[in-house]
Amino acid sequence: MSHAETGAAAAPGPEGGAGSGGGTGTAKAKAEAKSGGGKVPGEGSFWLSERAFPLFVATLAAGIFAGTHLYYVYNTGAFNEVAVTALLKAGMDGGSYGAAAAFGAGFLFARIIEGPMVGILDIGGSLQTGVGIGIPAMLLAGGITAPLEHFWLALPTGAVLGLAIGWLVLAIRRVTVNSSGGTSTFGADVMMGAGNSAGRYLGPLVIIAAATASIPVGLGSTLGALLFYWWKKPLTGGAILGAMLFGLFFPITGK
Amino acid sequence: MPQTLIVLMESAVIGALIGFGASAGVARMFHAPKVQGMGAFRTLGELNACENDPIAHFSFGFGFFFNAWASAVGAGALTGDVDHRIVPHWAAALSMAKNRNLAETLHNPRRMAFCGAGVGMVLISVLNTSAASVPGSLQKVAAEVLGPASEWLINPVMPIIFWMAAIDAGRRTGGWGTVLGGLAHVVMGNAVPGIVLGIVVGKALDDLGRTRLTRVLVGAVIALFVISGILRGVDLQLLEQMKVHVPDWLAQFHKTTGTTPTD
Repeated sequence: MSHAETGAAAAPGPEGGAGSGGGTGTAKAKAEAKSGGGKVPGEGSFWLSERAFPLFVATLAAGIFAGTHLYYVYNTGAFNEVAVTALLKAGMDGGSYGAAAAFGAGFLFARIIEGPMVGILDIGGSLQTGVGIGIPAMLLAGGITAPLEHFWLALPTGAVLGLAIGWLVLAIRRVTVNSSGGTSTFGADVMMGAGNSAGRYLGPLVIIAAATASIPVGLGSTLGALLFYWWKKPLTGGAILGAMLFGLFFPITGK
Repeated sequence: MPQTLIVLMESAVIGALIGFGASAGVARMFHAPKVQGMGAFRTLGELNACENDPIAHFSFGFGFFFNAWASAVGAGALTGDVDHRIVPHWAAALSMAKNRNLAETLHNPRRMAFCGAGVGMVLISVLNTSAASVPGSLQKVAAEVLGPASEWLINPVMPIIFWMAAIDAGRRTGGWGTVLGGLAHVVMGNAVPGIVLGIVVGKALDDLGRTRLTRVLVGAVIALFVISGILRGVDLQLLEQMKVHVPDWLAQFHKTTGTTPTD
């Protein structure tokens, strides 16, 4: 898919939403046009202003960083996929934080560059993986554990990181989009396609791992995946729940 | 204070924060590109897909809630779907429960932010406390099943998916993706960040040509690889594996900075 097509495909949604009347969803555009003033924050109001953006990034980043604190202390609450959280876990279990730090920093870097160009900052790559995994991994690798051990230190740390990311995005937006006219999506479409299809692979992988662990768990996982597939739900959830249900009655032996 | 209570209280604060930020960012996406939004393209598409129907928004989020719950119970990871799908869709459903006007609900950052804060507070508390009270036998199953599966996903499945996407996106992107992907596996232990940067660089060169912006971009990427390579002691390993004598000053430099290879 070329970038020009994506640009055209992405444009109607936002434009319709902004009430310009073009593109898809004429009903939506009409609704926008009708309610120009009143109780809805319009263009230029605080809620849609540039200066509000870093604040929203800061609240989300503070929550995500504190979520990683919960995971670090209580082993639950990380805002990421099992696969990515496992990178951080590898470091916490005494291994190297290198993979988590590099993976998170790479995504953060790519998303901060991409966000201003396309007008949407991807929270998965920038905040969940960057602030939630990459930066904690870097801190831990450097021996700095305090922000991850204490809740009241985790919140401001995340908020400051979020503010910085928000300001950086706006700064890049001023330099690039306003000067080059936003002619490149920087491969956002390619990465989003790959990122979305990656999730589909986890279901079959879970079934294979379950069948390797023990026969009852493998059968349960297969059955669960089949049921979820029939119910038109993501395969992965069924595979995991099936494996756990059968594992409860037939605990995995050995090791 | 019992641990569950601490987890519950911290989760409520965290949930309110992420719900507030994510939902306001999602509402702003509908005003992009004029306004800088925050979320994801797939979130935008999925929200448009069940436009104007609170039931559709709720059930879409509900499907992913099960997935997130299973993952939280199993591995303590709430999945990215919490911020990307469950919170935005449930906030949308809540905000348009009585009022179907999109401008006043889904596209209104103020209303979405407060609905999202409420949804997040309850959702994160439920996910984290139910996970904390799971019996050990279940956690063992989850670790033995989800552990290997996610390891395979990280390596080699995800690198291959991104690699194929880079190769299919044109010769320049494929070339940059291949080179940086291979180097990233050497330097960082996983090829995905390198391929992602390769796609960014390749597409930027395709679309913009050689401008000041793309030159800075290429320079930053090269600097990132060189610095992380040195920090992980890749240069030492390379010389050792090529059976070349490591100069004393280089070995001394790595020893004093504490950057000798760990594995």
